[in-house]
Amino acid sequence: MSRINIVRIHNELLGTYGDQGNAEVLVFRGKFHGITGNIIDVGYNDPLPTNGDIYLLGGAEDSAQLLSLEAMQRDREVLDLVIERGAVILAVCAGFQIIGNSFGANGKEVTGLGLLDVTTTPGDKRFVGDVRIKSTNLSIDLTGFENHSGKTVLGSNATPFGKVESGYGNGDGKYDGAVSGNIFGTYMHGPILARNPEFADLLLTRATGRKYAQITDPLASQYATWRRKVIK
Amino acid sequence: MLIAALSGWVSKTLLRKSGKTIPGKVLLQLYPKALQALSNNRTVLLVSGTNGKTSTTKALSKVVSSKGPTVSNSTGSNLDRGAATTLMSHSKFVVLEVDELHLTKVASEAKPKVVLLLNLSRDQLHRMHEVKRVADRWHQLAATLPETTFVGDIDDPFVAYALSAATNKIGISFGGKKHKDGAVCPACGKYMKWNKNNYKCSCGLSNTNPDQEYENGSAAYRNSVLANVAGSVIGAKPIAINEAELERSVVKDYKGVIAKLRLTKNPASWEEALRSVSSQDVVLIVNARQVDGIDTSWLWDISFETLRNRRVIVTGERALDIAYRLHVQGIKSEQSESFEKAISKFTPGSSVDVLAAYTAYFGLVGA
Repeated sequence: MSRINIVRIHNELLGTYGDQGNAEVLVFRGKFHGITGNIIDVGYNDPLPTNGDIYLLGGAEDSAQLLSLEAMQRDREVLDLVIERGAVILAVCAGFQIIGNSFGANGKEVTGLGLLDVTTTPGDKRFVGDVRIKSTNLSIDLTGFENHSGKTVLGSNATPFGKVESGYGNGDGKYDGAVSGNIFGTYMHGPILARNPEFADLLLTRATGRKYAQITDPLASQYATWRRKVIK
Repeated sequence: MLIAALSGWVSKTLLRKSGKTIPGKVLLQLYPKALQALSNNRTVLLVSGTNGKTSTTKALSKVVSSKGPTVSNSTGSNLDRGAATTLMSHSKFVVLEVDELHLTKVASEAKPKVVLLLNLSRDQLHRMHEVKRVADRWHQLAATLPETTFVGDIDDPFVAYALSAATNKIGISFGGKKHKDGAVCPACGKYMKWNKNNYKCSCGLSNTNPDQEYENGSAAYRNSVLANVAGSVIGAKPIAINEAELERSVVKDYKGVIAKLRLTKNPASWEEALRSVSSQDVVLIVNARQVDGIDTSWLWDISFETLRNRRVIVTGERALDIAYRLHVQGIKSEQSESFEKAISKFTPGSSVDVLAAYTAYFGLVGA
């Protein structure tokens, strides 16, 4: 039985779009694999723990996004350290923008954490709706829900998280998100791990370095399959 | 006016719709300034907020009607066309429920005597986009209506922020209430300082300096107080309001199964409803049409702990979303194809709590 620490960063700020469920799904899927998941909630005033195996960031409104960035900048070296030892980061929407090179919030251009080589500029159109993408890492399609106006462009050190089959993704309708090693960024809410349990399994594999047998959870499969089918 | 009224008759009689939005829609197309013209020389009171609009509007109309003939859009047709339809009826007093995003348009044209703001929290984010975006609109509106009195529950920081721009305001506190979206000060963007249920930002936004203070209580109780305070602005005497009527719940008999139906449409209303669940048997109906919110991610912001060890049947177009959410929380549920099939599983004489999405709720109770 292995144990992992799942660090939910600033859910009080980055919890507006339901992404906090990602942590619960990781714990739930982990149980099937014999992994005990421990959720650590980090508040704005708390130091970022160094002992995390998976770090999660969610979607937020502009002011909350700026506060979260400011708090993480205080612990910048912690992030470098945990990335160095291979911890997994999953950042959604505003969280994805925060870990990029720069983004726009409250009408200003802001320097991000630079963990992913992406640049986001604010667009004048809001991208709202269901998304389906062909995943870069998995052989299945992933589904989710997007609600943002950022346009994200990838630099040479990042590859897309997936190719958009339906929806807008990074704003161009071609790609969604970005990946670099164990760092994943995406615009997909849902929460993404609830809609795509296979992706949760992939993150658990990356976090522990072990391969796991396929899980039989009929309800999870029914749900994921249905979403893939209805989002055309 | 005649064409507009006729269109309502067509909608109601031939199309079997409620007939409450079409006349207003036609009128606004024929005469875009209709809201302004129809509000002239009348006393208009508006009610807005995420939860409790319809029931509080009903309560406020009752309060106001002691002053004279009052009309109201009691069916929840709360966009500008619903407002226009209601204004087409003659009466001195008008009490209107208005959608959060439509409040700016309706209020700047109708020049209300009172705007009552109940609360603001995450809801239909596919349409509202951000809670702060709605609060900013309210704030700007309050600054442009110096003749209007803004009444609101300032235990909600977004309401307090809106009221802070008003020339005339009555900020009411019930001793505080934790707000799920209250981590950031809507006025200055700083991390908000909360002391249990009360907040005090360094910029001055706080619920600890209210104009009026009341005892703490349920959402229904709060709204009954707010309705009376709003009425008092135009000199209406406070009345006793049955809080149960403000709960937006209806009891219906399905072949001997007594169902208590409650409207659940966002995390705040779900939590309020989950607190009231008392039956062993529960039916949850989840849809995701426009008015329900087309995204269901917010179901993960709710703890369904009170449903543990109860019999839970899920149904609706998005039954699987709620089924999987409960599953991950370790709460078992059965899926049912329809509400009718779900309710038929219970024995006559038993009582069932039914928590229904907006479109499902109106499908069951009728508009």
